[in-house]
Amino acid sequence: MQVVITGCGRTGRALATRLDAEGDKVTVIELDDTVKRGLPAGFRCRFVLGNGINPRVLEAAGIAHAEAFVALTPNDSANIVSARVARDIYQVPHVLARLHDPAHAPVYTQFGIATVGSVQTTVNRVIQLLHHRTLEPHQTFGNGETLLVRSRVPAYLAGRRVAEFNVPGEIGVVELSRAGHSKIPEPSTPLEDGDVLSFIVAATSLGRLRSFLGGKWS
Amino acid sequence: MRIIVIGGTGLAEQVADALHGAGDEVTVIDTEPGRESALAKAGLRAVHGDALVPSTLEAAGALRADVLVACTQSDEDNLVISLLAKKRFNVPRVIARVNDPANDELFNHSWGVDALVSPATALVSMIRQES
Repeated sequence: MQVVITGCGRTGRALATRLDAEGDKVTVIELDDTVKRGLPAGFRCRFVLGNGINPRVLEAAGIAHAEAFVALTPNDSANIVSARVARDIYQVPHVLARLHDPAHAPVYTQFGIATVGSVQTTVNRVIQLLHHRTLEPHQTFGNGETLLVRSRVPAYLAGRRVAEFNVPGEIGVVELSRAGHSKIPEPSTPLEDGDVLSFIVAATSLGRLRSFLGGKWS
Repeated sequence: MRIIVIGGTGLAEQVADALHGAGDEVTVIDTEPGRESALAKAGLRAVHGDALVPSTLEAAGALRADVLVACTQSDEDNLVISLLAKKRFNVPRVIARVNDPANDELFNHSWGVDALVSPATALVSMIRQES
């Protein structure tokens, strides 16, 4: 796959190296010409000097034939502008941009740009590891805002119904495993000791789910 | 007219001052804290904040504004602010400043820009016309 990346900082460099190792053809655009001198000897990706919002620079990097574009500069608006130019002017099929300031998230959403949010992802992960160690997620979605968590139903909750765990917009029971068999439970299904439930849960509601399962039923 | 001017000291403030002097209702959005009192003294309404955050634009009255001038020293910021103003707040007239003439071509309707001000390009064309 032909990939163009803007921003050759720590993340851009690591991503370029990794994509290159996986056989992709990578071009990196960087504004600062001192960066090139600091690149490791084994760095094989093509390097284009210039501002990644500028169509001439993007063209020099081969944007017209790129299958993917990733905006990784430290500047949110530069990432938004170049991502939108790549998508709308050059019709690049896969466009991703890094989001630094979570307060800018609505702008990315408004313009329909898929984001990787380092701050949000880190905060969600640290909270998860500090406060909710017992609820190790099977899968996280987006920037960690939503998680799929599996947990054994404690004995004292036997007889409770699935619906009692459902909190609209926060927690939903999506699967029940009982004696080696899995099913999608009805809200009215009564729970038994030893059941394992899969919950879809908002990162901000992990505490609530934990208190449900940890004996602090409110 | 209700006008929002975005940008710190320099051109943005001079524009805001001149418009206010001509009787327009001007609000300035500035990322630098503590400038509100100085601006208020000049008769300008000031909102401190990041214009890339929709709630800042809303606090400055973007929903009722007739004109928005994106006048920061960053072309990227000016483009994003212009598009937000047009798409999210339907501001009838959006004017943006171009700092680097290499970016001139981006400042068009696809970014919500109705008119651009490019000091470098204007100067060059004036020199060409006169020679």
